[in-house]
Amino acid sequence: MKLLQHIWSIYLRSTARFPALRSFVPFIPLLIAWTLVTELAVFPRVFLPGPVDVVNAFGALTYKGVLTQYLEDSVVRLAVGATFGIALGIPLGVLVGLSDRVRQAVWPLLLFFQAIGDIAWLPILLVWFGFSLTTMTLVIVYTILFPIVLNTSLGVRSVSTDLHRAALSLGASKLRVIWEVVLPGALPNIMTGLRNGLGYGWRALIATEIIVGTSGIGFMMFDARRAGSVVEILLGMVVLGTLWYVVDSWVLAPIERATGKRWGLVTQ
Amino acid sequence: MAHMNRRLHSALMFALPLFGLLVFWELCIRILHVDARVFPSIEAVFTAGLQSVKDGSIFQHVAASLGRVAVGTVLAILVSVPLGVAMGLHPVVSEFLSPLFRFFSVLAGIAWIPIATLWFGYGFGAITFVIFNAVFFVVTYNTLLGVSSIPMPLRHAAASLGANGWTLLTQVILPGALPNIVTGVRTGLGFAWRGLIAAEMIATNVGLGYMLFLARDFYKTEVIVFGMIVIGLIWLVIDRLVLAPLERATIERWGLVRRA
Repeated sequence: MKLLQHIWSIYLRSTARFPALRSFVPFIPLLIAWTLVTELAVFPRVFLPGPVDVVNAFGALTYKGVLTQYLEDSVVRLAVGATFGIALGIPLGVLVGLSDRVRQAVWPLLLFFQAIGDIAWLPILLVWFGFSLTTMTLVIVYTILFPIVLNTSLGVRSVSTDLHRAALSLGASKLRVIWEVVLPGALPNIMTGLRNGLGYGWRALIATEIIVGTSGIGFMMFDARRAGSVVEILLGMVVLGTLWYVVDSWVLAPIERATGKRWGLVTQ
Repeated sequence: MAHMNRRLHSALMFALPLFGLLVFWELCIRILHVDARVFPSIEAVFTAGLQSVKDGSIFQHVAASLGRVAVGTVLAILVSVPLGVAMGLHPVVSEFLSPLFRFFSVLAGIAWIPIATLWFGYGFGAITFVIFNAVFFVVTYNTLLGVSSIPMPLRHAAASLGANGWTLLTQVILPGALPNIVTGVRTGLGFAWRGLIAAEMIATNVGLGYMLFLARDFYKTEVIVFGMIVIGLIWLVIDRLVLAPLERATIERWGLVRRA
């Protein structure tokens, strides 16, 4: 008990000095528990390998260059999908948000196509484009597009008409109103949409890589499943989780918070 | 009467673009002479739908999919809400544990398909596990956040007015965390529904995802499109007619955040 208290006080003191530790230290007890479970052989080792095995597999696959290659493939696919999704989604969202007529015409379609969901498109995309990169990219663009469009239009509509009128009466052109009033006002929502969209897109990527299966982390995991190698599946999960955790909590969430603080209209 | 008319009008306005889409679809097929193996005509889809209703296969697939979602979701909520509340009560504990649950909610759903199929074999177990998993971590994380976001003074005030543990739980903590819990359920179900379709394509022999993927093998695009429409409609009903109004109602009733 004394020892635990001592460790706890060290933890509190060090996190007070280095807040970044807070996102790492909680994983240590989990790793210890995982090691214990595997060492005590609660489950057969074939079904649940220990952390050491996963680290070894990480070393081996990185050395062979397989892991880095697959990771690169996955990240590039996601980035390409996200770029197209943003490039299409923001203008469309602004249009839907600004014009009531466009909104009336497009909104039901948006809701319906969003509801169909990314992965349900996979079979017909496979019929059209075969097991190719085009299929995967289209699924990801589709997934990322809708949260961005819906959130952007929400953000655009949250900018009050008074602000539009104020800018217009000060002599701003329509384009300038969009650029300097509407877009900044909608930015917090756009960021939220991007974050949601990437969250869905990243899951869709895993699913398509499993089903289409040519390369990528999802493919690696399912290939390992066929070979019955649980170590590589776990490695894939750890890599995916860590990567997304880092991107989400160190890049996307801070940007979302910052834009919310700078331009947001929501208050506590 | 005027109220009814307005509702009817807005329903019509909602249906109009969808009707327009149907017309556009039919025109495209007629004018461009699209091969049925590339995209089916409305008629073909309708016939495929009628056929599957007649032989009852569509009901079988829908029942299998919905059953899996229901079992996985209900189990997950039953476990995750008490767990989230228990962990959220103490600020130090919730702060310590939230990175862990964040990590797993980031990973939830589809990424578990390979290992789920290995642990449980192909079929009901693996798919329900994926759904459970998608809902469980997201709801636990959100409940944890919701409970820990209730201001301490509120809890102290209730306690000093004589509320015991149970009253505090049912009158202050659960209502306070409810908006977050419902948001969590909505997000989790969104992941679960997509995970379900993906898992059914990979790991089963009944369900909507399987129906689509099987039709792909035979280039039966009319069955694929019919399945997509069914998937879209089911999710539209679940999300827009059940979850979104529920979320809005709880936020309006118990939310702490307000729009300025």
